[in-house]
Amino acid sequence: MRRSLSLYGLTFSLPLLVWQLLFFVFPLVFLVALSFWTVKNFAMRPDFDTVNWVTMYGRGVFWQAYGTTFAFALAAAVLTSLLAFPCSYAIAFKLSEAARRWAVFLMVIPFFTSYLVRIYSWQIFLSDAGIVNVLLGKVGLGPFPLLNTAGATMVGYLTLNFPLVVLLQLFSLVFIDRTLVEAAHNLRCGRIRTVFAVIVPSARVGLVIAALFAFILSFGDFVSPIYLGGGKATTLSILITDTTKSGQQWPRAAVIALTMIGTLLVVAFVAVRFAYKGRSK
Amino acid sequence: MQRDTLVSFEGVEKRFGGFVAVQKMDFDIRKGEFLAIMGSSGCGKTTTLRMLAGLEAPSAGVIRLAGQPINHLPTWSRDTPMVWQSLALFPFLNVRENVEFALKMRGVGKADRRRRAEQWLERMQILEFAERDISQLSGGQRQRVALARSLVVEPEILLLDEPLSALDAALKVRMQSVLKNLQRETGITFVYVTHSQSEAFSMADRVVIMSRGKIEQIGTPQEIYRTPATRFVAEFLGSSNIFTGQVKAAAGKSVTLEGPAGTFTLAAADLATPPAVGQKVSLTVLDARTRLAATAPAGAFNKVPVRMIGEEFVGATATIYLETAQGQEIRVQKSQDDLESLPLQVGKDYVAFWPHEDGHLVAEA
Repeated sequence: MRRSLSLYGLTFSLPLLVWQLLFFVFPLVFLVALSFWTVKNFAMRPDFDTVNWVTMYGRGVFWQAYGTTFAFALAAAVLTSLLAFPCSYAIAFKLSEAARRWAVFLMVIPFFTSYLVRIYSWQIFLSDAGIVNVLLGKVGLGPFPLLNTAGATMVGYLTLNFPLVVLLQLFSLVFIDRTLVEAAHNLRCGRIRTVFAVIVPSARVGLVIAALFAFILSFGDFVSPIYLGGGKATTLSILITDTTKSGQQWPRAAVIALTMIGTLLVVAFVAVRFAYKGRSK
Repeated sequence: MQRDTLVSFEGVEKRFGGFVAVQKMDFDIRKGEFLAIMGSSGCGKTTTLRMLAGLEAPSAGVIRLAGQPINHLPTWSRDTPMVWQSLALFPFLNVRENVEFALKMRGVGKADRRRRAEQWLERMQILEFAERDISQLSGGQRQRVALARSLVVEPEILLLDEPLSALDAALKVRMQSVLKNLQRETGITFVYVTHSQSEAFSMADRVVIMSRGKIEQIGTPQEIYRTPATRFVAEFLGSSNIFTGQVKAAAGKSVTLEGPAGTFTLAAADLATPPAVGQKVSLTVLDARTRLAATAPAGAFNKVPVRMIGEEFVGATATIYLETAQGQEIRVQKSQDDLESLPLQVGKDYVAFWPHEDGHLVAEA
């Protein structure tokens, strides 16, 4: 390997390096440093004090929010994966080549509009006098409180995750060797059983990665829990805004943010390990 | 040695849209035989096998297994396990789990499953690899796993779709004897699809030769080699010299034809219907039966003046390449010993000849 860097190589690698340093490494280091600062009379002071960590980790409300966020993200990952799988399975195995291209195109369309706009439009459906309750009223049901519930938060997470999860699942499903499916059928494995005995294990890496993305997106999301969940269940992202608003406690917010980053790193590591477990192809 | 019929194709046909992959075919597969279906790619041999396996539905006709029509049965309701060209082993399962798969699908209990899988792993001499991943095996070992996986249910019939094509030459020969022995010992009917004549002829009891979706000939390797039924078969095997001409005289089994290379006589024409005078026919004579001399021999022989253009030595035998005055290539296959008496030189003139009874008549398509 050549050690000396050519000008040509530097021209292409340097901007990326600078960018990463400036907007990723530096803010992260700053975030770590910030978590050790202290706040006196609504003013932050550079310091090296573990008081923020001790305070946050000693609070019941923090751990409650942590549990809620983790449970929500996990539920969203599982729910999205389960709902997306039949969809991506159908696109991968039941549609013609041309129809599959259209399906992929349709899955990309949601990314054209802002997530915030899509969440706001759910309010029109879910509010007490919203479309869903009006329709239910026509058949003599309701009105049900739909907005500002955990269910509504979940609808928001699905809106966020579903298209991406379908696409990620799809990419692993279309690459499954079709002769494996035929071989399973030939060895007396029926249609439904083949899905679980052959297709899911074959696509395991893609399915786990898709679920991981759903988890990551939901874990850090602020929009759905606040605008559809009404902030009733406090998630870590809501807790961060509350903390910064109350008495300029940026250092404590940094503690929450770092905890979230650490959690996602561990979850991602465990998920990838599980995805590639045992079998190396 | 007529045996019971296990499978019969009755007027079976397969079309993909407007394309006819398999033309209306009728043939039987006998119980316990090793049948090879041979042809070049796109001849419909794999489609035929897939119809038997239930992976393709015939467009017309009936396929019977042990007398019962099986057209309507999906592949998972038939007992027609197949070995794929790619082997199609499950990469997410280890060797043992692959072999146990079909038993698990049949609801065989865990202990029984394990015992039966181990029997077959042992028989295929891969028991020591039972806990390995498929990716850790060599080509030959994978082959054995694929065979064990299909045979563990002890089926009446096993379908094989060019399973040896990915192996190197030496391993291929070794696996051929493994397959042949396995078939002989188990008595399971093997239906083996291949484009390789050496594979088909070395293993099969009977061979089906297909071309463009049509069966050209069914017979033992010896029958096909000695008496190709059509010009296609003779050309496909490439082991005969072929002369085309018009029938000049036909009396009983003796036929005389006239073509650009000369006038030839056959002592024993065995066409189903005797040829009419004026009909276009082809005469085939095996490379190994064609003789060569420096000057025209005396006696009742068919003779063709030729010029030598090259030679090819393959161990104990040699193939001499010659050319007629019309530019048609003639091959003569001889042992090294036979050739010692004849000085060979490229560019020199010789006479190729053969007795009347060594010629064989095939119909022109």
